[in-house]
Amino acid sequence: MTDDQKRVAELYQLHGPAIYRRCLRLLQDREAAQDATQEVFGKLMRDLDRVSQLPEALPWIFRVATNHCLNERRNARRRPTGPLPELELHTAVDAVAYPERQLAQRVLARFDAETQAVALGVLVDGLEHDEVARTLGLSARTVSRKLARFLGNAKKYLLRSES
Amino acid sequence: MSSRCPSELALEEHLARQGAPVDAHLAGCASCQARLLQMRQEGDHFRQFVYPRTLDAVLERSERKRGWRWIWLVAAPALAAAAAVALVVRPGAPAEDYLGTKGGALGFAVFAGGAKGVRAVDDGAQVPAAAALRFRVHPSAACHLWIASLDAAGQISRIYPAEGEGGALVSGTAALPGGAVLDGRQGPERFYAVCTRRPLPFSALEKSVRGAAPGVRTAKTLQGLPEDATQSSVLVEKTP
Repeated sequence: MTDDQKRVAELYQLHGPAIYRRCLRLLQDREAAQDATQEVFGKLMRDLDRVSQLPEALPWIFRVATNHCLNERRNARRRPTGPLPELELHTAVDAVAYPERQLAQRVLARFDAETQAVALGVLVDGLEHDEVARTLGLSARTVSRKLARFLGNAKKYLLRSES
Repeated sequence: MSSRCPSELALEEHLARQGAPVDAHLAGCASCQARLLQMRQEGDHFRQFVYPRTLDAVLERSERKRGWRWIWLVAAPALAAAAAVALVVRPGAPAEDYLGTKGGALGFAVFAGGAKGVRAVDDGAQVPAAAALRFRVHPSAACHLWIASLDAAGQISRIYPAEGEGGALVSGTAALPGGAVLDGRQGPERFYAVCTRRPLPFSALEKSVRGAAPGVRTAKTLQGLPEDATQSSVLVEKTP
């Protein structure tokens, strides 16, 4: 193994578990998570120096994995095997405070990638608004606005589909 | 114990370095402890099964990436429609995929997919830094085709064909199978299409492309190619 290969292997061993966990959480399927982990790490390899910086690299790795797996979820809806299982909501999100959330996740894939990432961050990952903002590189105000729009539109979609 | 359970990211940070701010909460929260245990087990599963199973593929990919920062797409239905979509004719201008040739020239068109659909890319046009591209060529006679790119950092990427030597044999107008995805980095990148009567080693093409490195924006043609070579190039400006 060359020095470059050794470095890649070490970084894969270091970050692989976090990427795999993230993909497993979002895809809910071990095989799909295994494939996605390789793909995500492949994307991260474009900037090996950044990948090497712990713990600073973790939010970025988390974001790349999230975006990739959200795309996978969206694409899975169009495949013959059908959509992936629904996402589990984070325990920190109170059911009474957010009555729409159980239903909202069913329409997640209808929204643009950034809105999906915001909704996912708050409702599934249990991130505070400022944490989502920091992770996605948005302002806290934008996060609040996108989440409000997501919940409002999700409710409309569901009412429409139920009627 | 604080009332709110830490996020997935905070738990990852905790696993990456003990002593993170969530320790106090974790000590008294059974559901977080259970989640953390599950995360550790998933990490163990990765190390025991996923890592050994996938390492070779990851290393192979990293080797490829060093010389080739492109992902060749096996199937891209939206982009496969590029040629058809781009047939829209602007008043007074040829169709966007017009590939007329003059003398021994090589017709070469680049199509970019994005939020607004697929469009033909003019020389020097701005495209999203991670746009998916497709290519179309029209040689005046059957020839061996190479497509390669050069960016502002002098990085040369082998685009088409992704494998093999000598270049891909093409004749007539050909929409190339698959496509490529840009590397996400901002800045200029020029795509060169080169066709030769006889097979041309990629190393020879690479040498010519390297010679163009000082001026990616202005180096429209490559020097040092065989006399019978025809060529064309398209510059894209990768933007956020």
